[in-house]
Amino acid sequence: MNRIGILAQLEGLIRDLFDEYQGPVTEDLSAHDVEQWDSLGNVQFVVLIEKTMDVRFSTEEMASLSNLGELMTLIERKKSL
Amino acid sequence: MIDSSRYPALGKLLDGQLSIFPEHQSYLERRFADADQAHLELADQISDLITRIAHDHLDEIFEDYKWLTGVFVEEEVYFRRNGTYRLSSFEDAERTVYVDPVYMRKYMNGLLASEVWWHNHTNAIGFYKETFLDCLPGSSRHLEVGPGHGLLLYLATQTERCKSLTAWDVSAASLTNTREALSAMGVERDVKLEQYNIYDAPDGEFDSIVFSEVLEHLEQPLEALHVLRKLLTQDGRLYVHAPVNSPAPDHLYLFRTPEEVVSMVEEAGFDVVETRFYPILGVPLERARAFDLGISTLVVATPSEGA
Ligand SMILES: C[S@@+](CC[C@H](N)C(=O)[O-])C[C@H]1O[C@@H](n2cnc3c(N)ncnc32)[C@H](O)[C@@H]1O
Repeated sequence: MNRIGILAQLEGLIRDLFDEYQGPVTEDLSAHDVEQWDSLGNVQFVVLIEKTMDVRFSTEEMASLSNLGELMTLIERKKSL
Repeated sequence: MIDSSRYPALGKLLDGQLSIFPEHQSYLERRFADADQAHLELADQISDLITRIAHDHLDEIFEDYKWLTGVFVEEEVYFRRNGTYRLSSFEDAERTVYVDPVYMRKYMNGLLASEVWWHNHTNAIGFYKETFLDCLPGSSRHLEVGPGHGLLLYLATQTERCKSLTAWDVSAASLTNTREALSAMGVERDVKLEQYNIYDAPDGEFDSIVFSEVLEHLEQPLEALHVLRKLLTQDGRLYVHAPVNSPAPDHLYLFRTPEEVVSMVEEAGFDVVETRFYPILGVPLERARAFDLGISTLVVATPSEGA
């Protein structure tokens, strides 16, 4: 899957989980921009990604991501292993 | 973030917590962003109590809260991945948590701070005071099972309505925390603190019973409610606080909806007088239900006729 495909999938999950957020979903988007994306929301989001994309994240990875772009790079790396 | 001149105890606590846990700034900003005056006043009162309970180790409480948020995230990851709590047997919870005084102290300290940093916990204290303690008949013989950090028990010591005060806990380490808290608060009344597992409770008769954040720690919660039913007088009052979908290192029984808690209380022979459902992080109840988020479920009940 390419970056555009990954971003589209993540956008679907974000629109679902953080349904109050109306702004654009780009690589720059971070938890700070989305009111519902709190610490527990982050866990839900990442576990949803694990389930839909068949990848696994460590707790450190979950906590250290600063925006969607970084998350996408991590997913790409995991997918190419 | 808040007006410290109006809410001085809360302001001081926020400054202290943020100096130790600056990463929590944006969470705490959101936490208090929509709070109305009544909620801020309550948070200020609780902050004052926490400051006094903490006495000379407030920084330790801030550190332990920071630690606990990390522990909760780990548990949340497990819960979201597997759809169950990590532990299922009391022996495991006892071995890893209850008998370890260092762990227990950190845990109770962290939970104490959560009473003001978590929206649902602050609201639960408000409900406990207004709808339970302030409505008890005078001269109640009062029992709390699982007092932990002691905040609820302390509030009970402050009302004339409680004529006698008893607390039981399975964990000696936890009872030590409770004892220290009461002594730091300068409580001079006689409070009986005894080590009992709820399933091995001695005979007794009480007019008010508090069971806050204990039900989900049990393998057989319904049986424990039956025990409480036997201990409570016919016109006595029971207060239960049980969280739904809330993973923690020692939570065993997974309630998936607030209604499951309420109907278990009824099944044990109680009539429900009042309920409140407070979702975690102050999210709307519909959202909490839709995404299986944590919901603090509060129930005040009284024994059913003939039960
Ligand atoms: C999370 S703390 C609750 C503290 C406080 N009541 C509150 O609402 O925040 C749970 C307490 O229940 C106690 N506990 C767990 N299982 C118990 C049992 N079977 N019998 C008696 N106490 C128990 C634990 O030792 C601990 O002190």
